[in-house]
Amino acid sequence: MSKIEAEIGRGAARTQSSGWSELWRKEDWWAIWLGLGIVIVAYLLFANGSSIKWLAVAPAKWSSLSQLGADIATNIDRYVAQFVFWLVVFGFALTALGHRTRAFVPSFVFLYLLSALIFVIGQWDRANYYDLEPPLVALVLGLVISNLLGLPRSLDVGFRVEFYIKTGIVLLGATLPFTLIIWAGPIAILQASIVSIVTFFVIYWVSRSLDLDRRLAATLGAGGAVCGVSAAIAIAGAVGAKKEHAPIAISIVIFWAIVMIFVLPLVSRLLHLPSGVAGAWIGTSEFADAAGFAAADAYGRLAGNVPGITGTADQTMFAFTLMKVVGRDIWIGIWAFVLAIVATTRWEPAESGRKPEAAEIWRRFPKFVIGFVLASVIITLATRDYSLADFNKQVNPTLVGPIKDLRTWAFIFCFLSIGLTTRFMELARAGTKPFLAFTSGAAVNIVLGFVLSTIVFAAHWENLAH
Amino acid sequence: MAASMPRQCRFCTHFCSDPAYLEAVFPGLTSLSSAYASVRAEDGLCRRHDRYLSARSGCENFSPGRGKG
Repeated sequence: MSKIEAEIGRGAARTQSSGWSELWRKEDWWAIWLGLGIVIVAYLLFANGSSIKWLAVAPAKWSSLSQLGADIATNIDRYVAQFVFWLVVFGFALTALGHRTRAFVPSFVFLYLLSALIFVIGQWDRANYYDLEPPLVALVLGLVISNLLGLPRSLDVGFRVEFYIKTGIVLLGATLPFTLIIWAGPIAILQASIVSIVTFFVIYWVSRSLDLDRRLAATLGAGGAVCGVSAAIAIAGAVGAKKEHAPIAISIVIFWAIVMIFVLPLVSRLLHLPSGVAGAWIGTSEFADAAGFAAADAYGRLAGNVPGITGTADQTMFAFTLMKVVGRDIWIGIWAFVLAIVATTRWEPAESGRKPEAAEIWRRFPKFVIGFVLASVIITLATRDYSLADFNKQVNPTLVGPIKDLRTWAFIFCFLSIGLTTRFMELARAGTKPFLAFTSGAAVNIVLGFVLSTIVFAAHWENLAH
Repeated sequence: MAASMPRQCRFCTHFCSDPAYLEAVFPGLTSLSSAYASVRAEDGLCRRHDRYLSARSGCENFSPGRGKG
């Protein structure tokens, strides 16, 4: 313990007051400031006849090394500028959050160079042929480096999975029409609610049947039903779990989430699921946002490139986002509030020393969703007067396209960071009973999610964004 | 100051909700989540009872003072 405390450094002295200080003390808010900042600047430049396109450089499609070399040489100044941009904004935010950022520069240099390599691999015209989808390549490469080669622990400061994915989700909002959120959101909420509630109770019931502690059962149940590790940690706090409960849930969620990153796109591909349908299934049955985006991104890239897979990459991402973020993530506060009531009134009324407050719902609300919705509203309103033809000709290349390219960078930083921070040997030993309980729920979740996505609501997801 | 503060964990010397500390004691937390996320609110570890609790919990062992925040 003393070693851990020594590692905390200056972060330890920070206070726990909530309220306005959340605006600079939580990653969610920083994802909003960065994501919305980029969207607003992009729009202002667009409105004045300019664009952020120069900064949002990304490797072009290539088929030979000479072609690739020429593209990089031509745009090297843009890559340097973009690297400096990300370094400054992420470094500033992490410093404000209280991280020790001395190692951030070397860490981010490493992350950016590796991300660029992965981006380049994904743009190879033979990438699909060799199954080199960038999210999967990033994950495998990261896992190999962290588990077989090893990196100095200090470099972890630059591998902020959640921060990158949340920033990417806010940017994704700018590419998703607000009308689509209104139109498709209710079905996403309905489908996700059915699966979440069933999954939670299956895991809880099996856990209790195996004589596991109720608080561990609830922590595992939320991890499988709502938003993975984030839900597990939120519910562990809400029900007052034992210290060892959260690490058990974290280990199991990570294991299954990583397995599903590969399994869900693979099965979807074997079944030739339309891109929107697969996105909905992944959104229903993946356990964490970052892992789910990796799976959805990997499958979306197959649409139109692999015979038999219809739809577009956008449909996969939109269906996944609606299902995961709108359908599941935003309800974590309500889950926490309800379970806190159960824990304090039925499980251990004499011990808790507190009365759950409805304010808990807002305190635990994943605030980055606000940025996601605002980004969607801003771009939808800003482009409402354009015809489809004009949108494709003027708005896409200079406004939405560059935002999408920056989003892709943020996602690759995230996917790579998942691998770089997942050290299997360091995870807590979960034990057979918790593993069996969670796995039971995961199995039900996958089957139920598949039936709802591919049969019950198939037409809805297949035609998404048409 | 001690007399006026609520007897809640967030004001207890046994309680620690510092995100860096939590990321260090919960292995794997940063792989797919973060202690800096809004969903965690201000939950933290009670080092007296080895429980992970809401900052607004409390008990008879409350000891006024600022835990590691």
